[in-house]
Amino acid sequence: MASRTLAVWEHRKVVGLLVRRDLKVKYQQSVLGYAWTMLEPMAMTLVYFFVFGIVLNASRGMPEGAAETGGFLLFLVAGILPWTTFSQILGEAPRTMITHSKLITTMKVPREIFPLASVGTKFVEYLLTWPILVLFVIVLGGRPSVEGLLLWLPLAVVLTFAFGLGVTLLLSSVNVLLRDVERLTRILTRLLFYGSAILFPASMVLGEDNSVPAWAETVFQLNPLLGIFQMHRAVWFAGFEELVPTTLALTSAVVGSLLMLVIGYWTFRRLEMSVLKEL
Amino acid sequence: MAQTSYGTADGGPVIEAKGLGVKFAVNRRRKRSLREMFIHGSKRDPNAQGNDFWPLRDVSFEVARGDCVGIVGKNGTGKSTLLKLIAGVLIPDEGEVHVRGKVAPLLELRAGFNDNLTGRENVYLVGSLHGMSEKEIDARFDEIVEFAEIEAKFIDSPVRHYSSGMKVRLGFALISQLEHPVMLVDEVLAVGDKAFKRKCYEAIERMLANQRTMVLVSHNEGDLRRFCNRGLYIRGGELALDTDIEAALEAYNADTKAEIAARKKRAEEKKKREEARKQAEQEKEQGDGGQAA
Repeated sequence: MASRTLAVWEHRKVVGLLVRRDLKVKYQQSVLGYAWTMLEPMAMTLVYFFVFGIVLNASRGMPEGAAETGGFLLFLVAGILPWTTFSQILGEAPRTMITHSKLITTMKVPREIFPLASVGTKFVEYLLTWPILVLFVIVLGGRPSVEGLLLWLPLAVVLTFAFGLGVTLLLSSVNVLLRDVERLTRILTRLLFYGSAILFPASMVLGEDNSVPAWAETVFQLNPLLGIFQMHRAVWFAGFEELVPTTLALTSAVVGSLLMLVIGYWTFRRLEMSVLKEL
Repeated sequence: MAQTSYGTADGGPVIEAKGLGVKFAVNRRRKRSLREMFIHGSKRDPNAQGNDFWPLRDVSFEVARGDCVGIVGKNGTGKSTLLKLIAGVLIPDEGEVHVRGKVAPLLELRAGFNDNLTGRENVYLVGSLHGMSEKEIDARFDEIVEFAEIEAKFIDSPVRHYSSGMKVRLGFALISQLEHPVMLVDEVLAVGDKAFKRKCYEAIERMLANQRTMVLVSHNEGDLRRFCNRGLYIRGGELALDTDIEAALEAYNADTKAEIAARKKRAEEKKKREEARKQAEQEKEQGDGGQAA
């Protein structure tokens, strides 16, 4: 295990090369590369803002007084941008080993670097969403808190990518042996999108004046992604306790992400021999 | 137990294989769907009673520095599998391989080239993936392009516009610049036109003169005789012979001849049987005809 980690560290340059290659390919194919990648989440945000915020009135779940500091629109943007990155990680996870099969079957490198490079690419793309996010925060008047910037933000980012790496390790190896994992993942991504309360404040499910049974509330909070994305948004809404994850959600976010990473790595190593034969 | 390790160069054999074996599951349907698995569990697993197949088993040998080893054998006897094991891109189920020093794999020459990047970008990418530093590539870049015979105006256009010959030439030119002590070559010598082939031969000879070790899998006797001083003959997944290349080729050819002879014999017997049957039918028909009349 330790020697394996060392081997991966020694190949960090290769990871860097793969990340740079992927970014290069992605952004040089179209002149508007960056604009395009931002356009999709922006368009979706507007649609959701209209449907959920105005038509279905999900913004009623926002805490009182939040309207002055960004309101529902900032809430959506701050959730959808990291979610876009995360769902892209999920989308590419199953194919990671298959797309690199030529390299894997000819080059002797620790195989972990391919999932690592895939998630690394997404991390860079996540950083590229920041200018847009900051723009929204400034224009809409979001209020970042010290606690948010020093605690919630780093924790949210670390957990998002730890979870993402775990999922990628798991799915990339399993999908080589069972190709329909890819389809399953697409469905699960959809479920998780709603299950992680990206489009509405989690307090609408957890509040006392609704018809959600208690057991469902517990299950809801056991989803590690719920806490993670609540943290992503809590950064910009200083002083609104309702938008901060509950203790249960926070615990399952931390424990769940680390568990996902461990399970993913364990599966990856277990299946490595069979994966190499199948590629 | 089963492992592949890479140490640093010191005395002793460069490649050391002990009791190597790889197992593949036969009749294993590549895509067993989740639906089947959940609904039928392991009861209807089509792979459950599938017997294991060992494309390669109990193979042990050592290769010393500066040796050039040719591997011969019929198709599907595990030659390429053996090469992959040495390259460390396949993990053995049994035994172990030790390779002292880095390996330059000429297994798939286009490997790693990304169609959307330019030739130049690809050279830097794949070169670095194989452990060359940027400076080394800078110093050799012109040589690589010249060797690959790629015109200056094409080197900065995407590789997807290259002909397949151009891609393979660029791949060979790049990999042959690696200074790794061990080279693994899988039938790639047969690429390119005549002139380029000659250049490849010269490049390989230059590398061999440099006390580098090479393992070559090929069906071309000329290539094998030209480069190799040792031969491994693999038959049915086992190491049948470990001698000089002439003896290995001889044994291989003898087996091939015997096989062809056996096939001919079978064909002749079949023909004879067929003729006998036809004759019998004819006689029968005549007999029927006689009766009718």
